[in-house]
Amino acid sequence: MDFLGIENLKARYGEHVVLNDISMTVEKGEIVSLIGPSGSGKSSLLRALVGLLPVESGEVRLNGEIINYRDKQAVKRLRDRLAIVFQQYNLFQNMDVLRNVMLAPMKVKGWPREECEREATALLEKVGLGAKLHVYPDQLSGGQQQRVALARALALRPEILLLDEVTSALDPELVNEVLDSIRLLASEGMTMIIVSHEMAFVREVSSRVSMMAAGSIVEIGTPDEIFQNPKHERARDFVGKILHR
Amino acid sequence: MNYTLQFGQVIDRLPYLAGGAWLSLLLATLAFFGGMIIGVFGAMAKLFGGRILAGIANIYVVFFTNTPALVQVYFLYFALPSFGIILPPFEAVLIGLTLNSGAYLTEIQRAGFLSIHRNEVEAAETIGLSQMQSVWYVIVPHIVRTLYPSLSNQYILITLGTSMAAIFGVEELTGRALSLNAETFRSIEIFVITAGLYIAITLVANVLLVFLGRYYFRARMRLF
Repeated sequence: MDFLGIENLKARYGEHVVLNDISMTVEKGEIVSLIGPSGSGKSSLLRALVGLLPVESGEVRLNGEIINYRDKQAVKRLRDRLAIVFQQYNLFQNMDVLRNVMLAPMKVKGWPREECEREATALLEKVGLGAKLHVYPDQLSGGQQQRVALARALALRPEILLLDEVTSALDPELVNEVLDSIRLLASEGMTMIIVSHEMAFVREVSSRVSMMAAGSIVEIGTPDEIFQNPKHERARDFVGKILHR
Repeated sequence: MNYTLQFGQVIDRLPYLAGGAWLSLLLATLAFFGGMIIGVFGAMAKLFGGRILAGIANIYVVFFTNTPALVQVYFLYFALPSFGIILPPFEAVLIGLTLNSGAYLTEIQRAGFLSIHRNEVEAAETIGLSQMQSVWYVIVPHIVRTLYPSLSNQYILITLGTSMAAIFGVEELTGRALSLNAETFRSIEIFVITAGLYIAITLVANVLLVFLGRYYFRARMRLF
């Protein structure tokens, strides 16, 4: 059985169809990357999965269990199984780094403070920010803020991590420090769905790559299949453009 | 000009003046917090109230921000008795200043609501915080932090505005300075000291507010 199964997912903003019949699966420990031009529905798919974008029809199954996005409690329970990290980090500006990471485990899960603090500290050390526990977000670089956002997402011990263009807002020299943290998670077997424009990185870490265009999945396959020998013309066109930039 | 400064007579009455300063602070503080409460409702009415409530809030704000506070208090004190409402001077000034600051605070708080980061709220939602939790942990601290400098400015303006209470015979700082002046005619000394006391109370309030703001709400603000 698939770990995450998406079947015929459809969503729209008003008249505009942003997800058109999306079906795909993700196995445990797999890293699936979504690539494609802007507006192709990559971010919308991630937002739909965490319940930020209302789904019109279709089905999402996590570990065999159908997720009912109309049930608020079910969505709330879903959110500590699927964690999302955004392009703009979205850290809470009024809290220091440690508190940003501890907030959800303490307030949502109700875990004891010492345990949350220990775990949050360990997570921040893992992303290389062990020395910045009591610094506020506005004193950090974009790359550091994004790594805090990663730690915050991991603090709920999610089963799948969704990364929505997490390096797109960063200065080029800060991209690698974030990618390194993601590589570390990959090496630990974290299941991830990654939306990214860092093609070399996508090629390196992905188990499979899904090429999207106009709200649909055009082609899905291993990185080599997609990057070296795309079958579909739309995919060939996109890959051709990004490889010969 | 041959005027010999003699502070002695006035210094002796310093406790009397300080008592007035205390009343000024009390008046300002009550008017500020009253205005904050009006401001929350005013801002919500303007933003979410629909046409009628927003219209009423708008008329209120336009009226009270575009007429002198003094005229507003005159109205309460001298015009209301014709309608059978007789307010003692302290109450008339307090109500006038509260309504006046409520209008300014409506606008300030409206700006606060508008500055909420949609992103942060979304992040709060996706890590599973409930709506009440996001309001409490994310939205309220953000509003307070953003508005802090404007709020403390408004507080100081109200403090200075309380001096008009003297006209109505309230024995706050200016009122007591006037009585002392009538008694001793040491005008220069009296008003130098009175000005000093105003500076002292606003400065102390300012310093406290800045420190509270910087360390508790991480508001970006400077002392001067």
